[in-house]
Amino acid sequence: MSSIIIDTSASRGVTGLLKFLLESGKIDAALTMRNDPENNTYDFGLITDASNLDEAVPLIPVMTVNAGQVLSSISISRKKIAAVLKPCELRAFVELVKREKGSLENLLTISYTCGGVFPLDTVITGQIKELLPKYRKTILNGEIPVNTRDTCRACEHFIPMNADITVSVIGECEPGVGCVMHLNTERAVEFTEGFGGERSDRKFDPSTLKKTLDARLAEKEKLFASVTKDGPGLDRLLDTFGKCVGCHGCSSVCPICYCLLCDFESANFDYNLPYFEEHLSRKGALRLPPDTIFFHLGRLTHMSFSCVGCGMCSDVCPVDIPVAAMFKKTGEKTAALFDYLPGRDVEESIPVMVYKEEEFPDIG
Amino acid sequence: MTDAQGKGAVLPVSKDPGDAILEFLRLAVAKELADAVILPMKVPSGDSFAWILMNDVSLFEGAVPIAAAMPVQGAKALRSLTRKGPGNLTVIAVMRPCEIRAAIELEKLGQVHTDNLILATYDCPGAIPLQKYVDDPGGSEEHFSLMRRSGKPDNTAKPVCHYCENFSMFDSDLHFGYFGFSEKEVLVIPGSDKGSELLKGLDLDLAKDLSDWKKGIDSLKAEREEARKSAFEETGEQLRGFSGMQSVFASCIGCHNCQSACPICYCRLCYFDSETAQQDPDALITAAAKRGGVSLPEDRIMFHVGRMTHMSLSCVSCGQCTDACPVSIPVAGVFSYVADRTQRTFEYEAGRNDGDPLPLRQFRKSELPGIHELVKNAESEEPSHE
Amino acid sequence: MKEFEMQESGQDRKLRAKVGVYICECGPNIAGKVDLDRIITDISELDDYQDVELVVKKYGFLCSAPGKEYLEEEINSNGFTHLVIGACSPRDHDSTFMGVCKKTDLNPYLYRIINIREHCSWVIDDKEKATVKAESYIRGGIARVLRQSELFEKPLDINPDVLIIGGGVAGMEAALSLSSDDRRVFLVEKTDRLGGVSIDLSGILPGQGEVIGKKIESVLGNGNIRVFLNTRVENVIGFLGNFEIELLSEENTEITEIMSGAIVVAAGGTLFDPRESDRYSYSGSDEVYTSLSIEKMFAGDDGAVLRSGKQPSSVALIHCVGREEKNYCSGICCSYMMKLACFFKKQSADIQVTEFYRDICLPKKNDQERFSEAQAAGVALIRIKDISLKGTNVSFERISGDKDKQSFDMVVLAPALEPSADTEYFADLLTVPLDEFGFFQEVHKMTNPVGTATDGVFIVGAAHGPKGVSDSMQFARASAGQILTRLIPGEKLIPEVAVTEISEAYCTGCGNCLEVCVYGAIYSDDSRGISVVNEAVCRGCGNCFGSCPSGALRTKHFTNTQLYREVDEALR
Repeated sequence: MSSIIIDTSASRGVTGLLKFLLESGKIDAALTMRNDPENNTYDFGLITDASNLDEAVPLIPVMTVNAGQVLSSISISRKKIAAVLKPCELRAFVELVKREKGSLENLLTISYTCGGVFPLDTVITGQIKELLPKYRKTILNGEIPVNTRDTCRACEHFIPMNADITVSVIGECEPGVGCVMHLNTERAVEFTEGFGGERSDRKFDPSTLKKTLDARLAEKEKLFASVTKDGPGLDRLLDTFGKCVGCHGCSSVCPICYCLLCDFESANFDYNLPYFEEHLSRKGALRLPPDTIFFHLGRLTHMSFSCVGCGMCSDVCPVDIPVAAMFKKTGEKTAALFDYLPGRDVEESIPVMVYKEEEFPDIG
Repeated sequence: MTDAQGKGAVLPVSKDPGDAILEFLRLAVAKELADAVILPMKVPSGDSFAWILMNDVSLFEGAVPIAAAMPVQGAKALRSLTRKGPGNLTVIAVMRPCEIRAAIELEKLGQVHTDNLILATYDCPGAIPLQKYVDDPGGSEEHFSLMRRSGKPDNTAKPVCHYCENFSMFDSDLHFGYFGFSEKEVLVIPGSDKGSELLKGLDLDLAKDLSDWKKGIDSLKAEREEARKSAFEETGEQLRGFSGMQSVFASCIGCHNCQSACPICYCRLCYFDSETAQQDPDALITAAAKRGGVSLPEDRIMFHVGRMTHMSLSCVSCGQCTDACPVSIPVAGVFSYVADRTQRTFEYEAGRNDGDPLPLRQFRKSELPGIHELVKNAESEEPSHE
Repeated sequence: MKEFEMQESGQDRKLRAKVGVYICECGPNIAGKVDLDRIITDISELDDYQDVELVVKKYGFLCSAPGKEYLEEEINSNGFTHLVIGACSPRDHDSTFMGVCKKTDLNPYLYRIINIREHCSWVIDDKEKATVKAESYIRGGIARVLRQSELFEKPLDINPDVLIIGGGVAGMEAALSLSSDDRRVFLVEKTDRLGGVSIDLSGILPGQGEVIGKKIESVLGNGNIRVFLNTRVENVIGFLGNFEIELLSEENTEITEIMSGAIVVAAGGTLFDPRESDRYSYSGSDEVYTSLSIEKMFAGDDGAVLRSGKQPSSVALIHCVGREEKNYCSGICCSYMMKLACFFKKQSADIQVTEFYRDICLPKKNDQERFSEAQAAGVALIRIKDISLKGTNVSFERISGDKDKQSFDMVVLAPALEPSADTEYFADLLTVPLDEFGFFQEVHKMTNPVGTATDGVFIVGAAHGPKGVSDSMQFARASAGQILTRLIPGEKLIPEVAVTEISEAYCTGCGNCLEVCVYGAIYSDDSRGISVVNEAVCRGCGNCFGSCPSGALRTKHFTNTQLYREVDEALR
């Protein structure tokens, strides 16, 4: 495919593109992050009037909610939407499309090479704008900002070539002065027809990001090691999840957890008194409410191979359990058994939905 | 605070009030006056607590009856145990007054059955916010120790604790009073027949006069009332008009942690998570087109207003909602303020075990005579907005 | 590795709907004020519905015989999966078109009537505006109907027998009207005799005594009426067509169980005790009597005389006793007081009879006659503003404002007729609400005075409100009429289909819905810890729906999704 080079900052470039798409009528609405000027908070705007794009901050390193989750509630529509997504948000959305929880049909996806997001603790200080210059400098140096989410620092899937348009934020052009938008699909070419900027045959060159990739992989090693730093086993699981209060915030904000009523909140996990009495007679003590760890094991079973490591779960955990690191590691290893990578390809079937007559012969 | 009838029994204290309570419970179980107890215990990582139902007396010494933090609202533990019925076990639960009050509200809602529970409360000086405790268990314990001795929440305590007036005896079966006794004695006061029976069974004489202790409680209560007045004044100002709500809840990300942490929110599937509450995408985009855009996720403020409508009359101001919020919204401050007003309007006090039915279930032919005025006044204050 | 291939991808198994949209011109009523051709074009061209085929047509008068035939033919030949009719109010023809659907394979609950007459063409002058509104309504109807589900009527076997509570005039009349060889009547009376209050009235009116006596004979001699004396109703469960009743007789402590399809409450009324009001203070030894006591005396041999046996020389008849306190007029007292006045005069022309009244109420054909008779007999009639009694000393304020006092030998009070003491007990037992006066609440004063909120439970006689013998009998016959037409021996009943159901997955058994259900249709299932709706009793009113915070309740055919999507689409 081709690319467009624009002589403005990446952020302004993307906003300009959205403006063009809305004003030309090529899309009905644009989904992007915006900054509420009155309260200095961040949310998503589904914008239909181009003049409202002044509040847009499409590339802001903030994730208050995973855009995949937001998109799934609006994408099954006859209207055309352009959405600016972080790589993990796009991958999460693809996983949701596979589960009939979203549609790519009328969607133009715009993603970018992502340097990671600040945790919510930082977002609520209102200091994001002040932190941006240093953040940009760090990522452009191919280094990893220390004050971003741990899973972001360890993320190797930060180059979203499965989007319709990929914007190079890290590398490729002089920052603040120019940006490159890679048009990866026919749809991208179609939608950008008439949009300004220099057209080029330039293809994305992954070697420009080798330094960043290596740094991320190294961080991932460290992160995965920390998950089982005191050794594996149920005791260590207890250590990590022992202080879980069962708020289920992790599953609420997880883009993949799409069930309206989680099995663990349903009547299936209501216990009759004989259960408690029996436990007491056997063990002398029982935690209430029960199934603290079971919930996490269940969630791992149900969704870990689709985990995209966005880190929302750890961020909302009221007791700072490193849920994301645990789920990312488990998910990656489980998915690998099936040669599966979540979000890579919408045609790739979810492992548990595929029947193979012969599989894992060594497990028997 | 319930009027403690005149006299209580005294428990000797060797280490601290919590220890005295443990000894009391050991005896109760040993004498088969109870089958089991529910108490907080430290979790394996040592930086939080969990509720443990236990009948093995040898495990009691690891328990911390008066815990510095409240990671899980005790009423939730009681709900998981007794939702399906009272069962055959007699269980003594030692919890904060707000936890017992929440359990009483849940009983009215069919979620808790207290027939075989002996609910025991204690003088509560407040609790350390969960996040603070997890970050620094040692420092938090020190602060809590001081709070316990003085009976006053300090600047590390949860904001709602500062103006909680129900920090001492309430409609519980038993109450452990120790404020003002410099950790040398703990009073055990019966609040019901169940409680009296238990004390009789333990051969504890109700010999100690309660008036000194009560005086101390009353003066602490007066301080809390003062704090309540000024806190509510401030909250009232902040919440003025729709823009007030918007600015207080501006950073809300719609995670619904507050609803999960709330002991009263008993619905399996919250209305706002249900299919009905999800907007049809086409309708949403059309609505967006009319206004130039719409903020997503949708209905973040509506969720809070809806939650208030559903549970405000039973809110016991325990503050778990603020503790659970990942973006530090003072949810409990807002909900306490609203709950105070809604409960007053219906002359209903959440957590009372006096047979007063839930206001939303009662039909009265004539009710709220001043409501039209109220609505008119509220409307006149609020400029019309899109 | 061999991979098993699915015949058809799961995602290909989708619902393909075909919706018939038929718009009725209603002659000029709709067609004259709404541009139907434009609506047909616009809706036919909608690209909004993938996997939905729309067939949009108009027709002159869909409710006419040829119209219905046309509709039936269209449904059959097109094989519609859903149907939307743009026409008049559902009150007019919802059931008409449902009837058409029932003749086809299309489930009648996959159809919806949209009102574009009363809501559009009849109320909007501007044709453009009316057309826009009608079109948005119809689009809303399409969105709604696509979210409707098939519902099936479940005919129930019924018991045609009837339980009548109370053996007074009303109860007996109902029993006689209802009983037949294929319908038994159970007449339950708490005292040891039939006749109720009217027994005490026997021998007063020409022929009335015989009437009551004859009624009692007929009832006792009727093989299809089983009479239970000295018996009380202990428990009632069930619903129209299937009630289970427990009776307890005073003699033996055993419970008798009976079944019936309907219950007629003829529990009667009683007289207000004048001493409950500060106005009337007298003791048991004073010569102060209620009208009923006087009636009894007149029925006896001695007539209405003083305790000493002597004739009273002066009698005060005080009307409206308790009227201000109760806030209603009992409607029968003026009539019988005139009658009593004449009886006193007949007993002895020397008795000075004075009637004190606030207003005169003589509504029936023959009452005026009594009034003239009383006047002719020399009865004094004094209209008062206020009155009070100390023993037989009457203090009163005339309508002119003058205050006066008079002493009498005997005073007769006409107290208000109030609900019997058993009323609250039965209200609770049968889940029938009481009105503001404490009588059973009827469905509607004019259109359905004998029905109650609980289907199958009817109220007659003084239990419904103050009335005399003949009115009580009329009410009894009215209730019989309803029962005879609805509970037909051998035929089944079809209960309401659009009722509420509770999702076991979402319900937590909090009981909010149970508390607010006025029909007593929800019960608690403790073993599952949830609330459950008895679909035979539920009327689909939706009160419970509003009380559930989580939406675990669904009122069929009126679900949130259906309503929200209809509105969303109409407003788009």
